[in-house]
Amino acid sequence: MASITIEAITKTFGTVPVLHDIDLSIGDGEFVVLVGPSGCGKSTLLRMIAGLEDITAGEIRIDGRRINEVAPKDRDIAMVFQSYALYPHMTVADNMSYSLRLRKTTKERIAEAVNSAAGKLGLDPLLARRPKALSGGQRQRVAMGRAIVRHPKAFLFDEPLSNLDARLREQMRAEIKRLHKAIGATSVYVTHDQIEAMTLADRIVAMHGGIIQQVGNPLDLYDRPANLFVAGFIGSPAMNFVEGHCRAGAIATVDGSTVAVPDGIHLAEGQAVTVGVRPEHVRIVAGPEAGSYAARVDLVEPTGFGTIVHVRLLGEDLKIYTLERGAAEVGQPLHIALDGARLHIFDRETTNRIG
Amino acid sequence: MTSTSAAAPPDGDRRTAMQKMAVRLEPWLYSAPVLILIVAIMLVPLALGISYAFRDIRLLNPFSGAFVGLKHFRDLASDSAFRGALVNTLWWTFSSVILQFLFGLILALLLNQPFKGRALAQALCFLPWAVPSFLSGLDWAWMFNPVVGPIPHWLYALGIMSEPSNILSDPKTAMWGPIVANVWWGIPFFAITLLAALQAIPKDLYEAAEIDGAGPIERFRSITMPFLAPTIAISILLRTVWIANFADLIIVMTNGGPADRTQIVASYIFTQAFRRLDFGYASAIALVLLVLLLAYSMLIVALRQTMLSRH
Repeated sequence: MASITIEAITKTFGTVPVLHDIDLSIGDGEFVVLVGPSGCGKSTLLRMIAGLEDITAGEIRIDGRRINEVAPKDRDIAMVFQSYALYPHMTVADNMSYSLRLRKTTKERIAEAVNSAAGKLGLDPLLARRPKALSGGQRQRVAMGRAIVRHPKAFLFDEPLSNLDARLREQMRAEIKRLHKAIGATSVYVTHDQIEAMTLADRIVAMHGGIIQQVGNPLDLYDRPANLFVAGFIGSPAMNFVEGHCRAGAIATVDGSTVAVPDGIHLAEGQAVTVGVRPEHVRIVAGPEAGSYAARVDLVEPTGFGTIVHVRLLGEDLKIYTLERGAAEVGQPLHIALDGARLHIFDRETTNRIG
Repeated sequence: MTSTSAAAPPDGDRRTAMQKMAVRLEPWLYSAPVLILIVAIMLVPLALGISYAFRDIRLLNPFSGAFVGLKHFRDLASDSAFRGALVNTLWWTFSSVILQFLFGLILALLLNQPFKGRALAQALCFLPWAVPSFLSGLDWAWMFNPVVGPIPHWLYALGIMSEPSNILSDPKTAMWGPIVANVWWGIPFFAITLLAALQAIPKDLYEAAEIDGAGPIERFRSITMPFLAPTIAISILLRTVWIANFADLIIVMTNGGPADRTQIVASYIFTQAFRRLDFGYASAIALVLLVLLLAYSMLIVALRQTMLSRH
């Protein structure tokens, strides 16, 4: 168990900057998820913690000890790779015990560690097999087993579930969470999947373009995204964005409608803003009421649990997420109301949240 | 196929015997050109060559040609030159293959590291392969010659030789001449095959091993070698058979001499057939070599199968 401190980390590949001045501290036993689109630098940051990439500038400390120059094997971390990176010519047991054998652990201790890890992950019947003879989910489990036999200071996960099919991914996600609850080890987990981030994380670090956009617990990021990127990245179906200008105390949209400015927010006259509203916070109302809009249904996407209704409104393709079945049919006129308390207002120039 | 099935009536088999014959012969007709070629240029010469081994065939003797049974093989059993050639073949083949493999592996490992100008270095390293073998043999023979070549003088300067002499004319060292030339010429073959195999190893295995605590030597032992093993087995097999049969360099550089010290079985066959013009005896030797190489190949193929099934 350990804490990880990342201070003013910068990384460039040749002349291409990948990470800019990253500061982050990860507490003992915390599960932190680095999330962002591909190319945002999240994997690079993880690999720098692992010691697989050089640190251009800044400092990484594990338990207060500077590890910039420490070899990966001496950092006492374990990593789970997207491809699992199992040694194909070794059995499951040998894969799991490889690091212990290299550390000259006694045979009894190795057997004990492997058996206990295999028990936790349900790998007992597979110990004598080679990776070739395993399914994707089993390989994933072996990769995790290889990490936990060592009792490392920290676990690093590099998109560990990306190669699994959707159902298995869901199952493994729950298993990872359960495992973390049981072991309580400090974990850093990289993913591009915001659902994984939301479900697993104690704290999410949203990254984009080599910069940390927001750090916070999952529901904070969902309820109060710090900028347009986080607002658009977290949540599925994605948040609706409506562009407008502040005119006479209201927000005028491009199609000539207005949106009321939520309480407690002050906008300068003429300020360019983007209004964000999540599909689940747009309501279909029975008839015209104060602040409602008339629209026509463009497209209906049933998901089983709920339905996504697309309407052309406020100059945008506005999505509504409703749990009511058959609430709308294509071409049907509707009355729509936005949940005023749950509007997100962003400055269009800085993309930062105003309120 | 479709034309014959269309010709056959759908109800019962009312075709004439001729038609049935035609149907049966049809696939053979299509493959006839290739079959005739294979039979004419491979099987017939092979059978002829094997039959020579049991006949007395000497080009300079117009009365030769009689069937002599196993006489050639009885002669072979007591032919000390042949036994010497067998020993020399082992020596020539295994030292060439092992050195080619070792240097080829080192070269492949070096070329697998990223560095500036790697593409150019790769192209240059593979150049010897493009040199005709007899030309490289001639060049090496010259380089070993103290009158025109530098190597004896270097060896003398290093204190390895007491005087700058030609190693090719010393019975004790003569075999090293063709072996050195062969190693130089054959390194690229191993380098190319092993480099291709190296590049197929997933990088993250090395990263996982690094985190697991494996140093460079341990990573080489537990990741690189197991991945390369099947390639190594098959390329060593190929090269061994090839080099055991490969007499060009020896013929060009030493012609089997001095005192038969560089005579290998392949060059002995060449000498018997084309210098003494005794085709019968040469064929008998060739048959023995064929059987030995077949046995060796089957051994290695079996080894490779077991290795692959473990993966």
